[in-house]
Amino acid sequence: MLLAPAVLVYAVFAFYPMIDVIQFSFMKWNGLNADKQWVGLDNYRYVLAVDPVFWVAFRNTLIWTALSVIFPPLIGFGLALGLNQNIPGRSPLRALFYMPVIIAPIAVATMWRWMFDPFFGLFNSLLTTAGWTNLIQDWLGDRNVALYSVFIGYVWEVAGFSMVLFLAGLQGVSQTLIEAARIDGAGRFQVFRYVTLPALRPTVTIVLILSLINSLKAFDIVYGMTGGGPAQSTQMLAMWAYTQAMQLGDFGRGSAISVVLLLITVVIVVPYLRWTLKRHEAYQ
Amino acid sequence: MSGLASPFRQAGAERVDPLLVALWITLIIVAVIWIAPFVFIIFTSLKSNATVMGSGAFSPPTSVAWENFTNAWRRGNFGTTVVNSTIITVIKVPLGLMISAMAAYSLSRIQFWGHKAIFLAIVFGTMIPFQVMLAPIFKQVNSFGLINTYVGIILPYLAFGVPYQVFILHGFFKDVPKELSEAALIDGASHFTVFRRIFLPVSLPVLAALLILDFVATWNEFAMALVILQDPQRWTLPLGLMSFQSQFARDYGQLNAAIVMTVLPAAIVYLIFQRYFVSGLTSGAVKE
Repeated sequence: MLLAPAVLVYAVFAFYPMIDVIQFSFMKWNGLNADKQWVGLDNYRYVLAVDPVFWVAFRNTLIWTALSVIFPPLIGFGLALGLNQNIPGRSPLRALFYMPVIIAPIAVATMWRWMFDPFFGLFNSLLTTAGWTNLIQDWLGDRNVALYSVFIGYVWEVAGFSMVLFLAGLQGVSQTLIEAARIDGAGRFQVFRYVTLPALRPTVTIVLILSLINSLKAFDIVYGMTGGGPAQSTQMLAMWAYTQAMQLGDFGRGSAISVVLLLITVVIVVPYLRWTLKRHEAYQ
Repeated sequence: MSGLASPFRQAGAERVDPLLVALWITLIIVAVIWIAPFVFIIFTSLKSNATVMGSGAFSPPTSVAWENFTNAWRRGNFGTTVVNSTIITVIKVPLGLMISAMAAYSLSRIQFWGHKAIFLAIVFGTMIPFQVMLAPIFKQVNSFGLINTYVGIILPYLAFGVPYQVFILHGFFKDVPKELSEAALIDGASHFTVFRRIFLPVSLPVLAALLILDFVATWNEFAMALVILQDPQRWTLPLGLMSFQSQFARDYGQLNAAIVMTVLPAAIVYLIFQRYFVSGLTSGAVKE
């Protein structure tokens, strides 16, 4: 009885659509009327072999994910190491770096879109003031630059998240161990290398996986800043699935893209979950 | 640990550590970069359009243009979107936490056939981004005839909020001593009474943390609302802001006023309940 409401709502509105999408991916359907047709693998054939946008979106998603696993965690790690030291103003600094995480991603997108404004935005104004006019760009309008411009906004948004996780991990590092190493004559760098880093290994795994999963969720910020353009140069798989199904009215093709993405996600997630569950039970 | 008395020193050391001073200066520089967007947005929101185009990006506004806020409120239909966001958040957040807590209790205390499988299915859900399957969610809500309704958005919000909360609370409930609940059950208390009288009170800090985190997540959610709430009368704040941006992108002052108004409630909640955010996040991911 206590379990029923949660399980029911989860099964109907989260689990079932996950199964449902597989079925749609073999059909031709506009999502609204009753006219559904079984078309076998046609949607996959179209998406993987004919659609010119799919592979562009695939490549962008790969670049985006790779960058998301490298830069925000690195910056977060640096900030956490610094803010774990005995320096004044630690708490306000932590609060400040975490602030962008709690702001609506769509608002972050709107903010950065305005800062990237080619005429009056922050970046081009600063470059003009500094006299570096040759660096002035159409940040979101140039197809070679746009993806990286959006990513800069994303780094600002999410670095604080990694920072908080690393700070928690650092607080778990045994002070006794660090002091013991010091007494044994270890220098600052040696303590870091042989005591702190090994103790942080689980935290590093968690941060990297969560950064990876979160990078797949980066729908709002791209939608809000560029909508996938210019010329699909910031198109991503999740958004392309949405566009195909909801805007172009082709549920079959949209679902085929979703299934490809879900498969990729499951391949990443399942080993991580097995590891988490082991820790969850070991904690008992 | 209380650093403020003698900052810049290693634990137990007398001398000021030059490396820590250098580190501190670096952090301050990064902090200035991090805070710059906020300053820029707030300054712009208080400038008239002519001033935005005529003055430097970081020059403070000379005359404060409050009318940006009233105009943006009116043209962006904030009166409607604020009410919608509030109704959805106020219903979804406590309700979601309630059903998650009940589920976590029964999964951690009541042995029954299949409870392990249900737990696994739920944990699996913590990791699947719903952004990759917006269309089938739309289809499911549509098949109940709930597009453009509060219920139609609250149900999938609940569904995707349950996994993380159940996982966190399950971890917490397992640590409540067995003797406590078993004694009460033998005395004739029902599971619901045990849950309400013992488990809820001892887990108040975790519940508070989850409540605050979920409040911000629900308030900020965009992608799901985009597919389910298509009628402007049902839009939430993020949808309203997005539409404002596409219609009035050249009214810089008002656009920034709209951003400030959208961001402010979550920012205030964050500043008041800061420590809960950290504990809510880390109790799930990093266990010490």
